[in-house]
Amino acid sequence: MSLHVMYYGMLAEITGLAEEVWVADAQLTVGGFRNQILEKYPAMREKKFKIAVNQKISEDFAPIDTQSEIALLPPFAGG
Amino acid sequence: MEKIHKPKKVFVQGPISPDFVSKSIASHQSKTNIGAHAIFLGQIRADKKETGVVSGIEYTAYEEMAEQAFHEIREAAFAKFELSCMHIYHSLGIVPTGEISLFVFVSSPHRRAAFEASEYIVEEIKANVPIFGKELVGEGGEFVWKENT
Repeated sequence: MSLHVMYYGMLAEITGLAEEVWVADAQLTVGGFRNQILEKYPAMREKKFKIAVNQKISEDFAPIDTQSEIALLPPFAGG
Repeated sequence: MEKIHKPKKVFVQGPISPDFVSKSIASHQSKTNIGAHAIFLGQIRADKKETGVVSGIEYTAYEEMAEQAFHEIREAAFAKFELSCMHIYHSLGIVPTGEISLFVFVSSPHRRAAFEASEYIVEEIKANVPIFGKELVGEGGEFVWKENT
């Protein structure tokens, strides 16, 4: 399946990208996706981030459906 | 039946001007059920960093998710407090030191609800809205990523 992945803040600096298409096997969980991300971008191991699937912050056990929009969110700084 | 509040646009490009704040106050003078307004203004601090002093913050956001989060905060605040009116504005892009990047404006018949709601809304924004801030330091284009605590 292919996923639309978006990077924000300091994470976009690490990837050098604002977004990319991520090709993955079916039956991917958020935790599995996190492992793939850390493998491709080892510098992210140093960073805190949350993963939003279709605009909801998701736990590692949550499944990811095909055509999901995934965002990697560094610590918030609003206000 | 609960009143449904339409989602409102929160983000503005650049700083929020004192003139905009004063016009917002003026536009509520016809609403005579209001007895108390509480206003919170977030202003950019000239923090000292290792390489210099902060000259401004550049804000970015996951805008669609952020607008939805703002909407949920508004709905929760209306459910929790006796409010007549509520407005939230947040900057995107560069806001120089000393200027305003957050304007929370709540109105109620009574002071207690206005005080409590404004604090609640500001804390919820800091914790739950995907907004990111780059603190710009000195003249050389250096920066430090900001993190809410």
